[in-house]
Amino acid sequence: MSRFFKAGSDSESETESSEDDEIIQQRPSAAPVQSRTFQFSDDEDDSRRIVRSAKDKRFDEMTNIIQQMKNHKQIKDMANVLNDFEALIKAADKAKKVIQEEGVPRFFIRCLFDLEEYANECWEDKEWRKSISKNNSKSFTSLRQKLKKYIREKYEKEVNDYKENPDHGDDDKRDETPAPQDEESEDEVDTPVKAPVKPKLPAPPVIKKQLPKSMDDDDDDDDDIDWDSSDDSVESDIDDEQFDTGKLTAEYFLKKSDSGTSKKEKKRKEPKQMKLEETDEEGDWEEVKGGAPLIMERPKMFGKDQEINVDAVLKKLYEITSARGKKGTDRNEQIELLKELREIAETNNLGLGIDVKLYFNIIGAIFDYNPNTLTSMRNDVWESCLSYLQTLLNILIDHPEVNVGEHIKEDDENLTEAPLYVRGCFLTLVEKMDEEFTKMLQSCDAHSTEYVERLQDERQVCDILEKTLRYLEIKGTTLEISRIYLKRIEHLYYKFDTSCVYTGDNEPKKEGTSEQTMDKLCKFLYTSETPDRLRTRAILCHIYHHALHNRWFQARDLMLMSHLQDNIGHSDIPTQLLYNRTLVQLGLCAFRQGNIRDAHNALVDIQSSNRAKELLAQGLLPNRQNERTPEQEKIEKRRLFPYHMHINLELLECVYLVSAMLLEIPFMAAHEMDVRRRMISKNFHHVMKMSERQTLIGPPESMREHVVAASKSMKTGDWKACKNFIINDKMNAKVWDLFFQPDKVRDMITVKIQEESLRTYLFTYSNVYDTLSLHTLAEMFELDMSVVHRIISKMIINEELMASLAEPTQTVIMHRTEPSRLQSLALQLSDKFLTLVENNERILEVKQGIYPFQNKRDRNDRQPGTSAAFQHHTQGEGYGPPTSKSVTNNQHWNRRNNKNYSRESRNY
Amino acid sequence: MAEYDLTTRLGEYLDRHLVFPLLEFLSVKELYDDKEMLKGKLDLLSNTNMVDFAMDVHQNLYPDQQVPTVLKDKRGQVVNELKTLQAATDVITKIFEDPEVARTIQNRDGRQLCDFLYQEKGFRPDMVETLYNYAKFQYECGNYSGAAEYLYFVRALLAPNDKNFMNALWGKLASEILMQNWDVALEDLNRLKDIIDHNTFAGDLQLLQQRTWLIHWSLFVFFNHAKGRDTIIDMFLYEPSYLNAIQTMCPHILRYLTTAVVTNKGRWRGCMKDLVKIIQHESYTYKDPITEFIECLYVHFDFDGAQKKLRDCETVLSNDFFLVACLDDFIENARLLIFETFCRIHECISIGMLAEKLNMAPDDAEKWIVNLIRNARLDAKIDSKLGHVVMGTQAVSPYQQIIEKTKNLAFRSQVIAQNVEKKLGHSKQEVNQWGMQE
Repeated sequence: MSRFFKAGSDSESETESSEDDEIIQQRPSAAPVQSRTFQFSDDEDDSRRIVRSAKDKRFDEMTNIIQQMKNHKQIKDMANVLNDFEALIKAADKAKKVIQEEGVPRFFIRCLFDLEEYANECWEDKEWRKSISKNNSKSFTSLRQKLKKYIREKYEKEVNDYKENPDHGDDDKRDETPAPQDEESEDEVDTPVKAPVKPKLPAPPVIKKQLPKSMDDDDDDDDDIDWDSSDDSVESDIDDEQFDTGKLTAEYFLKKSDSGTSKKEKKRKEPKQMKLEETDEEGDWEEVKGGAPLIMERPKMFGKDQEINVDAVLKKLYEITSARGKKGTDRNEQIELLKELREIAETNNLGLGIDVKLYFNIIGAIFDYNPNTLTSMRNDVWESCLSYLQTLLNILIDHPEVNVGEHIKEDDENLTEAPLYVRGCFLTLVEKMDEEFTKMLQSCDAHSTEYVERLQDERQVCDILEKTLRYLEIKGTTLEISRIYLKRIEHLYYKFDTSCVYTGDNEPKKEGTSEQTMDKLCKFLYTSETPDRLRTRAILCHIYHHALHNRWFQARDLMLMSHLQDNIGHSDIPTQLLYNRTLVQLGLCAFRQGNIRDAHNALVDIQSSNRAKELLAQGLLPNRQNERTPEQEKIEKRRLFPYHMHINLELLECVYLVSAMLLEIPFMAAHEMDVRRRMISKNFHHVMKMSERQTLIGPPESMREHVVAASKSMKTGDWKACKNFIINDKMNAKVWDLFFQPDKVRDMITVKIQEESLRTYLFTYSNVYDTLSLHTLAEMFELDMSVVHRIISKMIINEELMASLAEPTQTVIMHRTEPSRLQSLALQLSDKFLTLVENNERILEVKQGIYPFQNKRDRNDRQPGTSAAFQHHTQGEGYGPPTSKSVTNNQHWNRRNNKNYSRESRNY
Repeated sequence: MAEYDLTTRLGEYLDRHLVFPLLEFLSVKELYDDKEMLKGKLDLLSNTNMVDFAMDVHQNLYPDQQVPTVLKDKRGQVVNELKTLQAATDVITKIFEDPEVARTIQNRDGRQLCDFLYQEKGFRPDMVETLYNYAKFQYECGNYSGAAEYLYFVRALLAPNDKNFMNALWGKLASEILMQNWDVALEDLNRLKDIIDHNTFAGDLQLLQQRTWLIHWSLFVFFNHAKGRDTIIDMFLYEPSYLNAIQTMCPHILRYLTTAVVTNKGRWRGCMKDLVKIIQHESYTYKDPITEFIECLYVHFDFDGAQKKLRDCETVLSNDFFLVACLDDFIENARLLIFETFCRIHECISIGMLAEKLNMAPDDAEKWIVNLIRNARLDAKIDSKLGHVVMGTQAVSPYQQIIEKTKNLAFRSQVIAQNVEKKLGHSKQEVNQWGMQE
């Protein structure tokens, strides 16, 4: 026995050991372990009977093929899977007669079903699809098509039946197979070795060796109540189903021994399982399906005459839970056992304490159900999980005498008497549930009905959160309350509540709006002694909520007061993502309120990198040049926000570009003559440049083209064209209608366009006018006289426009200040001087320390005329190129410094 | 004009006794119902020991009623208590009447003084407490001079970490304010401010609260002290912590800050921009005619609006306890502000319109402008035929621009040079003295 298992365990770690001969040696023993479930009885038959029925022969053939296919599936060798599938169809055809007699064999249907699932899952896995070879992908596509067709034509009903009533024993296998494994690529190398070796295996001898040993083991297991006492409750098994007719005797004998073996196996495999989990190799092909035989041995909970009391139930509970996490423990089975145990406890009236404890265990087991942290729960499991949580919560709320908590030790539990103490933390379960919920949403396609269905659960989730919140407000500690508050906030902050937006001033404030809830929850978090992280997140959510509902001032003040801008870089990544979202929402809010500059400032960081999608965690950018490892990618995927929380990226970009346009176009017009040109928005310039490069510019199609076209007309002061480019049906549908109260926003944009066009017009054309009538301007831009007056006054005061107003005639009088060439050069030169001095001052400020000039001196030593390099450096910061004069000046400076330095250096 | 009255909002941050002058002022202005005012006063008095005053008020409020016995009883209590406290502090007063002690108080710090008193004069530590209580009682009774005097000693004797230390300072300040000793009050105010600013133990919230209180109390001092208008700008506008306190806790203080800036002609140029920024920033939480006036003038350039607001300002100022004194100053300066801005924008203005904008009769306006021109404050000519004021040309020639731009370059370079040399000298000093010769 030990040899057998040793071999098995070694082979598990086969990926690690690279010596070929070893692998080959081990493989023979490893393979049968896996295939045993299918070959068992048959092989046994072989050894006893020489003549086999046609049915057996056919089915045997099919099982073999299925087995092979399974192996190929695991290594995703699509070409071979396709071959196997075709062979299987042929075999099924051959067995037609038998099938007609006997009915469609269950294992065949399962195989079809599995294969279909598998194909679908592979199809979903786009990354993988991209990575496979051409040959493989071709095979895969044809496999998918053939499979679909085959099922549709022949076995649709059976497969559907199967879908509704799947075999339990198989669940765990199915869960594990789809998990995309990174080790796959390594495995692929081994494929040729594996595939041919397997069919040739001398299976029977191994089994034979194994059988007596396991029988022996059975005898040793005196301590095991489960198995010894439960032989009578035999349920149907996979093997049972496969070969459900005939040979009952042999079957019967086998089963017993089988169960013993598997039980032993289970024990032995513990360490292996640990190893497996560590290396995340669940999908490895040697996986032993210990769960299958376990089912058939499903024990009766208690002996017939055994007294059922609290202790007995607890003992049973520990028995069940101690199997948790061990290899071969069927997780589904565990849940079922726990459920049954709870029912027994309930019927025997063992009291609330036990009930609560069992509920905790059941929910825990449900969460345990999914071994892979990457994939999400299945729907039915999720639903049962929700309902159990609800029930438990109701019990806890209805019975305040039940105390639960993580701090309660197992020994201190009191499950029977009045002040009940049960170990377990409901809050943790709720948090876990929330996590699972997000995971489920992440794994769905956002545009499918499935997503909508799942999203409907949000209501239930919120309900649970709400109830938990009320429960914890009474029972919980401050920290627990804070945690549940934050969870509640996180489910609230991104939802738009129309009752929160006040359209008029005299409208009475409504009660119970999400604004008030947010306010209450957040304020509690601000004032209580909570960890900084919770508080930071609460503030961010609060700001987001304010911004979403157009409460710009509150949002802004909160943002400024939080001082998060300074230290957000030190917080964890999810919080940083939340910060980005908040910032973007703040920018959108500022835009809606007409604070264009604020909007631009808030959005510029997110937009300028062209990575808004990534920064907001709304999707991954294509992986260029392998920037990320697959692990990183997985982590990033997990951080993504579910689709319903997304901020529309096109809207975001449009808002950004329009604000940039409103700022940049007048600015460009005003500073056209400047040599030292600064840009307000690099991104906007980039977009403009891209369009200029085009050879032929057609009518605008995309949002970006619209903005570009609008900017161009604004440049010439044609506000109407500009407005029509920004606000039209296409843009309404794409962008503006996404806002709440889009008309208000459109009006605001129109006014802004008029004003900024006026400014641009004045900047651009002021040099062709001597005087300009305010009336004409007001007419041209369809603005009020007072507005025109205000804008021009502001420009004059800020010395942007060299002009003054003549009040009696209502005109603008331009003051010609066009400098001659020499004058403008002189002006430029003086500008240069200014920058030079400023730079010098800055350098002096920067180089403060114990030996403030050491670095500079080093540079000077190396490069006597450093001023060029020095200037180069400043140029990088966005200043103009040096003129010859400033260079000499600077050199002079440096020389004088050099003198000092040389003397200084002698001192050292 | 009751809508712009800030007494209730100010009252939140003032001591009971400090609110009396405000109420007194309001009853003179007859902004509110007389009865209500008296009731308010009575309420205010209920927690003080100024029983006689309370009786007076009661008499005024209900001339036909007897003074309630509660007040009479209280009077007796207060007198008794006063007597006991007086007896307890008699010893201490004697010590302090000693001229030698008075001299020591002036020369030595708290600890030395205490040592001196303990050793020489038989002073006991618990006496400070007694003295403090007595001073507090005096203050409650409305005897502010006595309270101030005793608190002066208390402050000298108490260690800065004593629980009563801050209270003593606040009490001293309140007493001085109520006695209208503005010089001393300003001194006390600065002392208190120092202590608050250097307090590292209190939490942020507590500091914010203390600052808010200080801001409100300081209004008394700033609008009565000669140097107050300068100090208020420095403190409220240019000390970030106080500006923060104003922004978060009491944006209504902006009214006083704005008035201070407007009436302080010398600081327009420097402060106006900062002030406008803050007013704009806070416009959603607080606005009144005074801040709106500035907003109209500097944000919207709406001279009609500014002029209207200026009229409102008049009523607001005349009804504000703190600002009533600077009403004329404010109006004159506000006019100047309007005019100055106007001139900067316009080249040619009709006097009639100007008069309207400045809220003056045309003849007065002309006179006013003539005066301005004569005082060389304005580069302009009056075209009396058309009734226009024509501004001197303002166009800046490139030469001037260059001169402007390069004017301070030399100076700035020199500063850099000096700094560099200073630093070099400094670092060389550390190594040896050799480098000093340059």
